[in-house]
Amino acid sequence: MRLALALALALACAPAVAHKPSDSYLALHAEAGALRGQWDIALRDLEYAIGLDADGDGAITWGELRARQADIARYALSRLTLAADGRPCRLEPGEQLVSTHSDGAYAVLRFAADCGTGPYGSLQVGYRLFSDLDPTHRGLLRVERSAGTVTGVLGPERPQLDIELAAASRLAQFADYAREGVWHIWIGIDHILFLLSLLLPAVLAYGARGWAPAERFSVVFWDIFKVVTAFTVAHSITLSLAALAVVQLPSRLVESVIALSVVLAALNNLRPVVFGRRWMVAFGFGLVHGFGFASVLADLGLPRDALLLALVGFNLGVEAGQLAIVCAFLPAAFLLRRHWFYRRVVFAGGSAAIAVVAAVWMAERVFDLKIL
Amino acid sequence: MDDAEVLERLPLRPRDPAWGQLRSLRAASLAAPADPGAAAPLARRYFELALAEGDPRYVGYAQAALTPWTADSHAPAEILVLRALLRQYRHDFEGALADLAQAVQVDPQNEEARAWRAAIFMVRADYPAARRECDALAPLTDELRAAGCHAYLDATTGAARSAYATLRSALERAPQSGPAQRLWILTRLAEMSVRLGDAPGAERHFKSALALGRNDNFLLAAYADFLLEQRRPREVVALLKDWVRSDTLLLRLALAERALGLPEAALHTRVLGERFAAEALRGERLHLAEEARYLLELRGDPVAALAAAAENWKSQREPRDALVLLQAAQAAGDPAAAAPVLDWLRRSGFEDPHMKNLAASLR
Repeated sequence: MRLALALALALACAPAVAHKPSDSYLALHAEAGALRGQWDIALRDLEYAIGLDADGDGAITWGELRARQADIARYALSRLTLAADGRPCRLEPGEQLVSTHSDGAYAVLRFAADCGTGPYGSLQVGYRLFSDLDPTHRGLLRVERSAGTVTGVLGPERPQLDIELAAASRLAQFADYAREGVWHIWIGIDHILFLLSLLLPAVLAYGARGWAPAERFSVVFWDIFKVVTAFTVAHSITLSLAALAVVQLPSRLVESVIALSVVLAALNNLRPVVFGRRWMVAFGFGLVHGFGFASVLADLGLPRDALLLALVGFNLGVEAGQLAIVCAFLPAAFLLRRHWFYRRVVFAGGSAAIAVVAAVWMAERVFDLKIL
Repeated sequence: MDDAEVLERLPLRPRDPAWGQLRSLRAASLAAPADPGAAAPLARRYFELALAEGDPRYVGYAQAALTPWTADSHAPAEILVLRALLRQYRHDFEGALADLAQAVQVDPQNEEARAWRAAIFMVRADYPAARRECDALAPLTDELRAAGCHAYLDATTGAARSAYATLRSALERAPQSGPAQRLWILTRLAEMSVRLGDAPGAERHFKSALALGRNDNFLLAAYADFLLEQRRPREVVALLKDWVRSDTLLLRLALAERALGLPEAALHTRVLGERFAAEALRGERLHLAEEARYLLELRGDPVAALAAAAENWKSQREPRDALVLLQAAQAAGDPAAAAPVLDWLRRSGFEDPHMKNLAASLR
């Protein structure tokens, strides 16, 4: 009978049927001497390996999964070995969650790896999960390092991967930090709003009859040049001081003052107190914004061996991102400056809106609330 | 989260007959892992399940059962055949043909090895080699299987009408044939009817095949393609709504849902994209023909679709592989990329009005 089936199956099914084979997702975060991981393993695979469906009804419930969490951690972590520079790491299971991938539900196992004191030059990953049960199973590895992300595929044919943790190249590292800098100024809406509040009046001049359009482009250009340069110089100073741990301020204070700086800069457009020398405002508050940038840089993790490189790269990235904003803003504002729409809506309305939003941020940050 | 919340539904439950069967086969294999008599039935059962359900995890389980013979060139013929099946599944056609050749040497009467060699040569569009295998198979097997092998070949190489007639009468003369074999032959007859422009005939054969009540991923995919071509997407949704686990069928389901403007189309398109991305992460691209159709018909990216279809054609050269390459080349406005398929059409003599029209527009 077996042979009777053979030809039928043979010809019908020779072309591979498409599908999703068994994968796990292993993410490792290596930063400043600490190593932690997150491992997503399909419930179906765990069911096949250790049995999760306690009542045998063909459905795995949260209750059934929860009852086996300790066994899952023991089973999985005993099939993973990590070593830093050849020294084995001790794996410490953490919390477990559930997530969904394209082929179903996965157990999410978080863990910490204790590899002795860092920093490490390389990481050795040994992987044996399900190698006895399903040789087609693969572990999709992603390692987040200060030098960027690397990926790899682990399985019975390749159970061991060696990951360099040290920077791939100085240039790549520099480019990474520069990119982070650009990115941070673009998503750092408070920095953008501060800059905008200072830029909005640049195409206008304040006189006895209030704000009037500036006459010459050169005046506008030099005004903006002074403001942007002052802001840049100021935040570069404090960013460097903070990153090198010369001066450190509590982040809540820094974030609150940054919000305050946005409020004041916007209000100054509505009821001018300072108008000729806005570059001094830019400089003064720029010092505070620099501390804000420094906290981002600290989150990114600074390479010990290339501190200055990272610092300069990040700073130049911030400047480049800032310059892009100015280049987008200046021509449009200059062309529009005589129109009532610019003065009433963009300038007055925009400043008022910025002041309100920043005031809410300030309240949130000072009182540690969540409003927006 | 509530303890009673269901996170995952398993494809097999203890009350399914297959579950108990697998359990005893697995126990036997665990008790004697080096015994081919215990490993082969388990591996075969898993492989059949993989094909029926379109679920590749079972291929992995089958491979695990064959671990003791991973690199053993003196393995028994049945183990060699199973190893070949798993290899061709991963598109290692060279390795599979070598294993099957070895199996034929160990056991010259092994009709399964011959049948698989014929099937692999068909996939590679090596028709003279496929014919040699069918000729070698004929004296080893009964009339129906011999007819099936030759008809499958003839229907692709310009003799569809006579192949259809021969296969149909062979089936009528063998009412005792088993359901798996009938299903295969009925699916082939349906495909040949489509090629001959006989839609009602195709419909009849598909319906008879489905009435056998066996899950078969390939049959469902072929019938869904037929319905889509006939502009009957509603029936595709009804047919495939419980088959999202299989990517081949999920693709057809999403195409039908899109044709009907159903909201599920967006979700299923996204899931398919995620599965192809996950496969790429593994460094495998086992279903490029499906990926090409996904890119062409669901994502509207003919350039990427053409690249996938052309890559697919390097290893897989069946009519449906040809069709997607022609369609992608046309949509991408790149007739030169279709040249290998146009060449294949000319040399094979393959008859299909739809494909011929498409080819004419690209010449």
